[in-house]
Amino acid sequence: MGEKNTPLLAVLQLLRKYNLKGTEDILRKEASLGDVEFENLDLPEVELASILTSHHTESDPYSYEFAYDNLKKFVENSLDIYKHELSTLLYPVFVHMYLALILYDHNEHANNFLEKFGPEQEDYYQEDLKRLSIVKHKDQIKGNELAEIYSTNKFVVQLSRDASSQLKRFLQEQKSSTVIINIINNHIQVDVHDGPGRTQAQVRSTTGGLLGEATRNENRTKVYYGLLKEPDIQVLPAPVEDEEEVEETPDKPKKKKAKKEHIFMKKPKSDPNAPPNDRIPLPELKETDKIEKGKALREASKRIQLGPESLPSICFYTLLNSGHTAICTDICDDSTLLAVGFSNSTIKVWTLTPVKLRGMKSAEKLIDIDREAGDVLVRMMEERDRDTCRTLFGHSGPVYKVAFDPFKTMLLSASEDSTVRLWSLQCWTCLVVYRGHVWPVWDVRWSPHGHYFVTAGHDRTTRLWATDHHQPLRMFSGHLSDVDCVQFHPNSNYVATGSSDRTVRLWDCLTGTQVRIMTGHKSTIFTLAFSICGRWLASGGNGELIVWDISTGSPAALLPPMHTAPIHALAFSRDGTILASGSLDCSIKLWDFNAISEEANGEEAGGATTTVQKEDKFLLRSFATKNSPIKGLHFTRRNLLLAVGSYEGSS
Amino acid sequence: MGDSDFAYGSSLSVDSMKTIAESIGIASLGDDAAKELADDVTFRLKVIVQDSMKFMHHSKRQKLSITDIDNALKIKNIECQYGFIQPDSLPFRFASGGGRELHFVEEKEVDLSDILSAPPPKIPLDVSVRAHWLSVDGVQPTVPENPPPLSKEAQKSESVDPISKLSKPTNKDAAGKPMCGKAARLKASESVHVKQLATHELSVEQQLYYKEITEACVGSDEGRRAEALQSLACDPGLHEMLPRMCTFISEGVKVNVVQNNLALLIYLMRMVKALLDNQSLYLEKYLHELIPSVSTCIVSRQLCLRPEMDNHWALRDFAARLMAQICKAFNTSTNNLQTRVTRLFARALQCPSQTNNETGVGPSMVTTMKESEKTPLASLYGAVQGLAELGPEVIKVFILPRVRWLGERVEGALSGLGGADRLAASNLKHQLLKVLAPVVRQLRQPPDLADEYKRDYGYLGPSLQQAVSKVRSSPAGGGGGGAVAVVTCTPPLVPAAPSPSHHAHTSHLSHTAKTVETMATRNVVISASPAPQSPAPSTPPPQKFVIVSQQKPPQINLQQTQPASGPGHIVVHSSQPTIVRSQNVQSVVVTSGPAGGAAPPQKVVVVGVQQPHHLAPATQASILPAASVGLTAAHVSQAPVSVVAKPVFARGGAAPPPPELDDLSHLA
Repeated sequence: MGEKNTPLLAVLQLLRKYNLKGTEDILRKEASLGDVEFENLDLPEVELASILTSHHTESDPYSYEFAYDNLKKFVENSLDIYKHELSTLLYPVFVHMYLALILYDHNEHANNFLEKFGPEQEDYYQEDLKRLSIVKHKDQIKGNELAEIYSTNKFVVQLSRDASSQLKRFLQEQKSSTVIINIINNHIQVDVHDGPGRTQAQVRSTTGGLLGEATRNENRTKVYYGLLKEPDIQVLPAPVEDEEEVEETPDKPKKKKAKKEHIFMKKPKSDPNAPPNDRIPLPELKETDKIEKGKALREASKRIQLGPESLPSICFYTLLNSGHTAICTDICDDSTLLAVGFSNSTIKVWTLTPVKLRGMKSAEKLIDIDREAGDVLVRMMEERDRDTCRTLFGHSGPVYKVAFDPFKTMLLSASEDSTVRLWSLQCWTCLVVYRGHVWPVWDVRWSPHGHYFVTAGHDRTTRLWATDHHQPLRMFSGHLSDVDCVQFHPNSNYVATGSSDRTVRLWDCLTGTQVRIMTGHKSTIFTLAFSICGRWLASGGNGELIVWDISTGSPAALLPPMHTAPIHALAFSRDGTILASGSLDCSIKLWDFNAISEEANGEEAGGATTTVQKEDKFLLRSFATKNSPIKGLHFTRRNLLLAVGSYEGSS
Repeated sequence: MGDSDFAYGSSLSVDSMKTIAESIGIASLGDDAAKELADDVTFRLKVIVQDSMKFMHHSKRQKLSITDIDNALKIKNIECQYGFIQPDSLPFRFASGGGRELHFVEEKEVDLSDILSAPPPKIPLDVSVRAHWLSVDGVQPTVPENPPPLSKEAQKSESVDPISKLSKPTNKDAAGKPMCGKAARLKASESVHVKQLATHELSVEQQLYYKEITEACVGSDEGRRAEALQSLACDPGLHEMLPRMCTFISEGVKVNVVQNNLALLIYLMRMVKALLDNQSLYLEKYLHELIPSVSTCIVSRQLCLRPEMDNHWALRDFAARLMAQICKAFNTSTNNLQTRVTRLFARALQCPSQTNNETGVGPSMVTTMKESEKTPLASLYGAVQGLAELGPEVIKVFILPRVRWLGERVEGALSGLGGADRLAASNLKHQLLKVLAPVVRQLRQPPDLADEYKRDYGYLGPSLQQAVSKVRSSPAGGGGGGAVAVVTCTPPLVPAAPSPSHHAHTSHLSHTAKTVETMATRNVVISASPAPQSPAPSTPPPQKFVIVSQQKPPQINLQQTQPASGPGHIVVHSSQPTIVRSQNVQSVVVTSGPAGGAAPPQKVVVVGVQQPHHLAPATQASILPAASVGLTAAHVSQAPVSVVAKPVFARGGAAPPPPELDDLSHLA
């Protein structure tokens, strides 16, 4: 295809798109374009637009530098109240200028442009720029993930009304900035909000997403972040006496209180934030599950109240001889089992108590058991053949996540082989293989009520499954890059996902829609954790830790970057007062979550502003391990913190 | 951010493309084609590496591995590269030459038959889970499974720049006790920065530990001592006890030098060695205590009760090695440690002529000269040994010019009557020859003429010449070349040196003290008590062994040959190579020693590693005087031990009992 003919072809394509047959024929005749090139009319939409609107400037690569310089000067010279908001424009303009230069074959200029203005972009974009900088030819745009995202999506920039009018005035005055006007028209979505311009800290707290910030109206949907009413405490036979006993003790743990509140709130409208119990159909509790719940309640009554002055004890489980092979860990809810997924496709389950792991009897023997017997559950298990560790084989790739179900009868695992497997902890065999993801599955989580689980993977989708269906019930798609982590909301109605596009999104399980998009992370998000009360969401990336208020979708607290390596484990204490974070830098840090949530609440009352925490007043303690990166954290029901890490030698 | 560290585009060069093309048989690849290929390959490689980063992150690693690349290829539907499995990271080698730089992976050629015939490799250990307490109620216990509370870097920066400790925000790290309760609230409310007082009290556990360790180190049980030293050398988190340990050592040296208690001095030096070997300790703050102690053990006039019998030479050697280790580890441009230590030893070697040459020392010049004239041979030996350990340059500058004078002293002593002196002199002579020979060999050109040597080096010249020529020919294995040393008869300048116990102790003491004062304001105690004069045997004393290591087989051998030498045995543990030294080699049957009847005193180095348990009980009993027990007791009583049972789990009801902590020694 001739270089000169590109705009003509673009016009031709446009004419065809609008079905202007007559004009198309005339143009074809005049430009003497043969029929051969008819098939070549497959320019991407955006490329087409940029060709049509800016082909007269394409020949002048110098105008880009000049225009960008002008824009920069304009931003620098504008008033302080607009400056920080306007400065968010620079990066997308820069990126699209670079791509445009590449697109028009000014490769040398593109390189110079990148080297001249690249280093002065915000530091959190540098990683992206490095990834983008490998695109050095227009053929490579198509194959490059990042360049495609940029050219097919609009970058969102939030401006106050005043700032946007400033920008308009600038664009009208400047004759030479047609390039910028084109880019802003085609690739940037300016989201105008009322109110004063934001400060630097405010702007910084929400920028950083792959496509800028979230637009305001994306986060308007109401989110029922309250907890579900616990259905059947009265039914439980065992804990009844316990409950009375508990009510007598003065320092009754919080969860209990919360539950009692729920009991009081039998009138449905009293907790406006809790979803109706039947919003999502939840599974009926089995008899064994009820016993398990009863145990949990009794344990919870013996819980230590944690706080800045009474820090939890930490028991650290070191995986020896594992080197780099141990990838993921999970500890079941009653803290009796530890599962570890390995890079050699195996899963190992250890018992953490003297109770050994037992398998079920063979089918022939099971027939003989009287099913009506009271101790049928004990009888069906093998008497001999006990072990402290069992290995599950089945995957054909590294196991990236293992998860115990809430009643510790089953285990889910997600692997590089793009399958999710359900294992029985009674037979110690694989029950189901869930196929659906195309590429590696990064994360899998159970619903807090069991039955449902959610997976996330490299194919940029999040899928909601039920254990009795071999196909997903919902697919949440919208992330622009890998979905790296996923987490169920405590009320099972929502799913939060964190992605390499540096956004955290909240999805409604009922409708399958995205209800929150939260930007502000400057790096890939590796782990998520909902607070016990359901309102807050903590997310950990490469050293950064952000707490979100999911009622508004805004960051409630940006915790200072005390970790120097990716955070792969987050856990809230059972009373919700302490947030523990574990990182690959071999340290566990404890944060005062009471103070964090109080401050966030106070700010909301005082004007809904967020500030970056300069001092480390939320950090309570930091515990270093001996060269053992932390791979999992878990609070027991009594608020003892369990941590798992693999020892990596003394190199 | 500078442009230099902002590499947007490193790419494969056209040259490498051509090289690769040649390697697969495409002889002439066009420039354009190579350029196009290089660009494309660069792009694709970068995409793959970027994708493999995702796999690295999800494997919760910070190091990219080959499997990550394989997985990245897999998601691009490309067959992965088989046969490149490497358990750990690939070590890149670097080579440069001809203006080119090359990074490459070393690939060894493997002979398949070797692999097949080799025994199958060990099965790797299975993954196992161990539990320990990382924190108990917010306090991190100092167990070997936890990292040391204060890293060596932190200790170093603290000792170099004490202000840094104050400017740091209160330690949120796990070290120390958590800020809680009143203190925390006070801190939160007051913004005035109050200087933190250093806490010097030790916990009950630490006091007990201190007591146990110090008792074991100077006690009679060799097994316990080995354990205690092992603990000192390996345990993290000793830094809080370091001041006390160092005081213990320095006080112990002071007392035992006066009492001439050789065994205890050795034990104390081994404690120093253990502390120096501990990776988690930074000793600079305590050098003012350690260096005088160590240097005392090197140059002290008398370190044992019977200088003619006991082998205090080994202690001097050992301490000298320690001193060299200290200098190596802690010498900086600000503390000038090595310079000062060198000066200390050099002053001990000051010969009269040089003292006269040096000016400006003061009116006491004359007395100094006379005193140094009388510096005991043992101290001279120590000073020589101390300098020798600091390297050949030091030997050249400080020992060589004084050889003549030293030779005179040796000659005088050898011709004298005192048995101890003669022994000392022969030791000194031997040591000098050993130390000087390699240096002189470097300095002088091959024709080694005895006369020249004699002219240059005085009494020691001929022996030195022999030694040098021996060193020169040593690779060839030939002997000294038949040049028999002419026994010189230069009369000694000083009449036969009196035995050390006849010295005017006070003056000598002041001299040494002065030299040491430059180091620190502490005195080096040089034995001042007259040793009980045992009748000096006219013949060299019976054989002695100092075994400065753990060894087994030779010892049995030795014991059999010399059953009567019991009292002379001293058993010392260390990681140093074993040195079995024997004087008067009449009946020694050591495997490696060419024991000729008239051979000069020789050293036999036996390297062995095993516990000397079979030897220990008999010898120690004879060595250990009761004083050591008293000393330990005295020191231990300094630390008030109040045994209060501290409840480990305050909230016993809620927390489960601690998981069983068995030996995690392989974690350390």
